[in-house]
Amino acid sequence: MGEFKVHRVRFFDYMPSGIRCMAFNSKADRLALARLNGSVEIFNFSNNYFQEKVIPGSDSRSIEAICWVGCDRLFTAGLNGEVVEYDLERLCPKYTLDAFGGPIWTAACNSAETHFAFGCEDGSVKLFEILPDKIQFERNLDRQKGRILSLSWHKSGTLIAAGSLDVIRVFDVKSGHSVQRILVDRGPAGTRNKDCVVWNVAFLSDYTIVSGDSAGKVQLWDANKGTLIKTHLVSKWDVLSLSVSENEDSIVAGTSEGTVIQFQLLSPTIGDAETQWIRTRTFKHHTHDVRAVTETKTAVVSGGLDTQLVICPLMDKVEVKSSESVLRKVIFPHRSLVSCAKKPSLLLFQFPDQLELWRLGGTDTVGKPGESLPVTRKPEKLLQLKRKGDDHICCSTISECGHWIAYSTVSSIRLYQLQCDNNNISITKVSKLPKVLRSAHQLQFSADSSKLFVASEQATIHVISLSRSECKHVHTFKPKSGSSAPVHLLAASADGQWLTSANRHCEINVYNLKKLTHHCMVPVYNSLPSAMAIHPETSNLLMAHADQQVFEFSIVDKQYTDWSRKLQKEGLHRCRSKWHTPITHITFNPSASSQVMLHDTHMFCIIDQRLPLVDLQAQFYSQLTPKDMSETDRPSKNNAFKMCKKYQIVLGSLTLILTLYFTALFPWPLLHVNLLEDDWLVVVERPLIDIHSQLPAPVRQKKFGT
Amino acid sequence: MATKRRGGFGARRKRNMEVKAVVDLGADSSDDDLPEEVTFEKAKADAVRSMRNALETVKRDKELLKEKRRKRQELFQQQKKRKLLSEDMLEEIESAYTKKGKPLDSEEQEKEESEEDEDSEEEVVNARLKESYKAVRLKDQIDANTRQESASDFIRSRLYGPGTNRTTTNQMLSLKNKTGNNKTAAVQFVNKNWGSENKGKAEKLKKRWVHSQTVVAN
Repeated sequence: MGEFKVHRVRFFDYMPSGIRCMAFNSKADRLALARLNGSVEIFNFSNNYFQEKVIPGSDSRSIEAICWVGCDRLFTAGLNGEVVEYDLERLCPKYTLDAFGGPIWTAACNSAETHFAFGCEDGSVKLFEILPDKIQFERNLDRQKGRILSLSWHKSGTLIAAGSLDVIRVFDVKSGHSVQRILVDRGPAGTRNKDCVVWNVAFLSDYTIVSGDSAGKVQLWDANKGTLIKTHLVSKWDVLSLSVSENEDSIVAGTSEGTVIQFQLLSPTIGDAETQWIRTRTFKHHTHDVRAVTETKTAVVSGGLDTQLVICPLMDKVEVKSSESVLRKVIFPHRSLVSCAKKPSLLLFQFPDQLELWRLGGTDTVGKPGESLPVTRKPEKLLQLKRKGDDHICCSTISECGHWIAYSTVSSIRLYQLQCDNNNISITKVSKLPKVLRSAHQLQFSADSSKLFVASEQATIHVISLSRSECKHVHTFKPKSGSSAPVHLLAASADGQWLTSANRHCEINVYNLKKLTHHCMVPVYNSLPSAMAIHPETSNLLMAHADQQVFEFSIVDKQYTDWSRKLQKEGLHRCRSKWHTPITHITFNPSASSQVMLHDTHMFCIIDQRLPLVDLQAQFYSQLTPKDMSETDRPSKNNAFKMCKKYQIVLGSLTLILTLYFTALFPWPLLHVNLLEDDWLVVVERPLIDIHSQLPAPVRQKKFGT
Repeated sequence: MATKRRGGFGARRKRNMEVKAVVDLGADSSDDDLPEEVTFEKAKADAVRSMRNALETVKRDKELLKEKRRKRQELFQQQKKRKLLSEDMLEEIESAYTKKGKPLDSEEQEKEESEEDEDSEEEVVNARLKESYKAVRLKDQIDANTRQESASDFIRSRLYGPGTNRTTTNQMLSLKNKTGNNKTAAVQFVNKNWGSENKGKAEKLKKRWVHSQTVVAN
């Protein structure tokens, strides 16, 4: 098969941001998630929980509440007092509106989706009317003394429950007056000094208000009489998030200690008609505060300050044993944040506020398989490029030769020229870019570094020719179907003839660069493409989709190849079904043209297209050091599909000579794997423990015996 | 009242009785003992002394109050002086005023004087502006930023402020480590911030030494 020498890179300090709030749109089956750095992510739940869209954040934006209106309108409100509506095609804010009430703590939409209510720092609840293209201020409800921290509409749209410090008020929407004032008790003796913050309220249709507060109680109140029905003391710390299911038979609450508690409307004795809210399940999938929780039909979705999104299926709701019935944790983004310049061995890391360029180290010694070699040349950080302005970087790339770097934010694209002598680095910004370039969803250099392909926000692809003196706009490709979905993947062939693009409507278009026309469109497959690459010799397009399917399409013949058809018929080995994270990168082995390498977050595998595909039930054999074994000893079954599960050489003849920069031998999540020349493999890892050690402070839990 | 005015004898008697009462109540003596004898002179001296003390305290209080009032007055005067123009400034104005004075008609002179006044006032005002005012960016000064900061302070204090019982991530990971199957070292075994100054100095010294060695070699 092949022997590789591996660079294990662990100096990419990728640090995700904590989850602040989320909203589930059941009509579109999508979840919108807002993080503490102001970025918004949209997950498509029906498409294998793929991270479909990412709207980069901004330093000046802060998000405290997020809300869907209809199927395709998304609003957020934050502590800078502004309400933002997002354009989900161009992946940027459409407009921002100042609510003039100070910082906005909460936002809620009524069930008829005609009005928005915002709870502000100055104690007022502001009503905005939702118009087809914008929202407009209508009026204020009666202003109260304390800040309004949570809001909930009643199903009829006539009453609003607002939670504040120590008090819950019920407002009549028509008159604007407060019709009920409920005093929340401060809780057990230890917490009597601090006022009780009602972090969440939910208004049920039978006029029951559910509240979660900072004393750790989930309480049920009667809104008509203003009295307490039931108190559930759930934790010693705050109950930070609360969510009611659509048919109002289940409430989920998230606490500061990382537990998620479910309450269900059940009758305590079987056969009894009277139902009560009873605490049923407790999940502890988080280590830090759970600040956002929501419920879909079959699962509880929770996210918090430990930056993980956890989708926990409720086994009594799941009907079919499918991918739905698995606990999922989404930790890393579903796209690659690392670009590699193969010839000069440079790696470009993308952070939200800067780019870092590193040169890989090297070793002069040779060793046996499985050995770790000492490093003679240390990896060095060549460049740290900080962005200009408030907006975060959304995409970046480096050319194959390492002389060009480009990155884009929602407001601008910047191109830099890099000169790299032995020890001196100089970088110059290319100042005059063609006016047509404003912002990009994806950037890609051509293989010979003479052209830059920009997937613009208008769903078109611009071709820019690069030279030392100037950059000219050569051509613009438009998608054949005219759809305006954002393009998220670009792949260019090594000979410079073909360019392919994939957009969010699962369309993959192939363009001819020599003739500057549209060549063909790949048959649409229902699942979103997650990685794409063109083979350097055969010009076959390899695509991996969000549901783990891999296809090969011949660009010249305009049809799927035989290998791809065989793969679809026979299917891949059952080990593949354990993969939960999408494939983020496909690349080819320069020394062996039939080998394809693909990887996702937890494993990478090499597929040899010449060898026969494995039977579904076959066992994999572990082949150790075939070079040392004689010909007769090698097993007869030579499988095409060799899987390397993180340096536990489970199967395959992949022998590794490891070059270690840090000492550790545990399996870590992979961020990027790429094949360099001379049988070198570069693996960018990010151990979860490094992320966990930089998280904010968790609550102190006293455990017996410690 | 009558007893007081009559002075000595009645007062003395009362005082004696009082003294006796005090002695009776205070002492642990039995009822058979004779009360102590207090002479008239002693009692008179006591009374006089106490009255003198009272008078003195009253006088002292009055004086203190006077002092305070005086000090406050001085402070006000100083502040007023500071607010008003300094002596130099006044001289400058006068000199500017007299310098610009030329032989003119009275009306024109008056107009000029008023203009000069304004000019000098402006000059004065400009000079003053330079001293006590400075230009700041509106973006930094907008109220909204302060409100947003106070809101984020509120939430930070509720989640991480005093009384919230938080611990460090290192502690939490150590706890997991302790109860886990494989017991390893703590994640943050060494406090990297400890002795950072000394480490920096050591680095600089090392660089300097290496440099000096290479210079010597050359």
